[in-house]
Amino acid sequence: MLWLQLTFTGLQVGALYALTAAGFSLIFGATRVFHFAHGAAFVLAAYVFYWAETSGLGMVAGIVLAALAAMAFGVAMDRLVYAPIQRHEGSFFTVFVASFGIGIAVQNVLGMVFGRSFVTISTGLSRSVKLMDGVYVSPLAWIAVACAGLFFVALLLFLNRTHVGMALRALADSPELIRAYGLDPRRLSSIAFALGSLLVVPSAVITALGSGLNPTLGHHVMLISLAATIVGGIGSIGGALVAGFILGLAENLALVVFESQWTEAVTFAILFLVILLRPAGLFGRHATR
Amino acid sequence: MQAYLLNLGVLISIYSILAITLNFIMGYAGIFSLAHAVFFGVGAYTGALVAMSLSASIFVTVPIAMVVAGVLSLALALPALRVRGEYFVAASLGLQVLAVTVFSEWKSVTGGIGGLIGIPPVDLVGYQIYRPAAFFPLSLAVLVLVLVATRLLVHSSFGRSLTAIRDSESAAESFGKNVPLIKTISVVISAALAAIAGVLYAHYLAFINVESFTLDTSVLVMAMVIIGGTGTAAGPVVGAALLLLLPGLLSYMSFLPQTQIGAIQQIIYGLGMAVLMIFRPGGLVGRSKAKARTRPKDPDTEAQAPASRPAEAAR
Repeated sequence: MLWLQLTFTGLQVGALYALTAAGFSLIFGATRVFHFAHGAAFVLAAYVFYWAETSGLGMVAGIVLAALAAMAFGVAMDRLVYAPIQRHEGSFFTVFVASFGIGIAVQNVLGMVFGRSFVTISTGLSRSVKLMDGVYVSPLAWIAVACAGLFFVALLLFLNRTHVGMALRALADSPELIRAYGLDPRRLSSIAFALGSLLVVPSAVITALGSGLNPTLGHHVMLISLAATIVGGIGSIGGALVAGFILGLAENLALVVFESQWTEAVTFAILFLVILLRPAGLFGRHATR
Repeated sequence: MQAYLLNLGVLISIYSILAITLNFIMGYAGIFSLAHAVFFGVGAYTGALVAMSLSASIFVTVPIAMVVAGVLSLALALPALRVRGEYFVAASLGLQVLAVTVFSEWKSVTGGIGGLIGIPPVDLVGYQIYRPAAFFPLSLAVLVLVLVATRLLVHSSFGRSLTAIRDSESAAESFGKNVPLIKTISVVISAALAAIAGVLYAHYLAFINVESFTLDTSVLVMAMVIIGGTGTAAGPVVGAALLLLLPGLLSYMSFLPQTQIGAIQQIIYGLGMAVLMIFRPGGLVGRSKAKARTRPKDPDTEAQAPASRPAEAAR
């Protein structure tokens, strides 16, 4: 029954990866910014939620504040860091290094304010319930999977049915065309950052309630989101979502064979192989030549 | 004070070697690798193990470390031949994370998280060099050698082929250049030279562990190259000096609370990286903008180009 237990854990972890990866993929797909500080948005949201919860504001207020903090951070990054860099030269790597630098700064600020050790919010939701012999699943796992489904459907409807959503998809292909239609690429870019950052909130909250937080978690989350985006195929948000689940499952099922410290290596071995064998990703829109 | 400056001088020399070798593939071959710390680490571990079990002579440790790093760098050359742009970045990132896991978990060889301790000092024709006053000239000499070697390479016909590939791969190919071979050789050279920095580092500190060879180091070296000026001769050295001096200066500010000084250093260093990218994206020693524009394709725009065309990038 070990593998069944690990499958359930994998699905929960995968759901959290899937949502952060979808956020990264949305931002990257629309703006072509390698938003490495996406992991910083994740820890920031998680710690805001933790702060609200420990100071007795309640869970709903905590989630709202976390969402506001993540979105404000994303938009601020876009306006204050990426836009000035893109205005002059703006190479891919200049943006990447700046983003990485901000990520380091946020991680250490949070470390100074909240301490560097693990903190967690105790709640009944994280207590595992026996499903069958040897298989325990906490209510949080169901919430995580439901959140992933819900947000994904909402995101798809938004991208395919609304004008702003369609404009976002067009932004990656041709900012000029967007301008010709009388839309403002800068404003759309900010919307992409706000939405993409909003997608970290469910994972951040569930992580705070479940396995606990520490400031370096952002780094790990970011690497996984990036891997999922590439494995799923750049430009495919659905691909990123599925890849998030695949990586979450792989990381946990690998425990059958490997010791736990090797699980991250399993994720990145998958990434490396996918790039070598199927560079466009599993669900990439563009076939390899 | 003197000891402090000598120590800083040694570290700047070592990181300059890393930045120069990364600049060699970044600035001239257009290969943006986030796995440079891997070869720094491979050099350090190999150098340390050879010194502890075989001989600490620099003429033994350095060649062995260079060969091992060169061979392992084929793992990086492979994706470099297949993909470009963000796909290659992700591949190199994957390699970096894998390497960190191996460094910290292959306990019988790397000593795990605890690392390797008691690495003997470097042996230069019978003289043991361990005092900073003697080590600094040695590291400086190696830096000059690496700088001269890469300069000669860049200005050779091989270097011209490299820049041709960076500017337009298909054009270089149509001129009969063996693009995969040239790319592979450049990655191997870069990794082998970076391994020298690793050997020096291992001897100098007499202790190494995985902490020095993580993604943070790779990004730090990349930041040094970009801040100094990608594709310039002096840029990487300037970038290395600047980024190592930045946190060093903070140690003199006594009004900062001692327990938080590490975190404050990291914050300043992170913000510094971002601010320099915003205000000096072309690097401190960068070519003037007008000149850069007359070139058919700047390395920056080349790096950008595949990013805007995923179909092109996923070759």
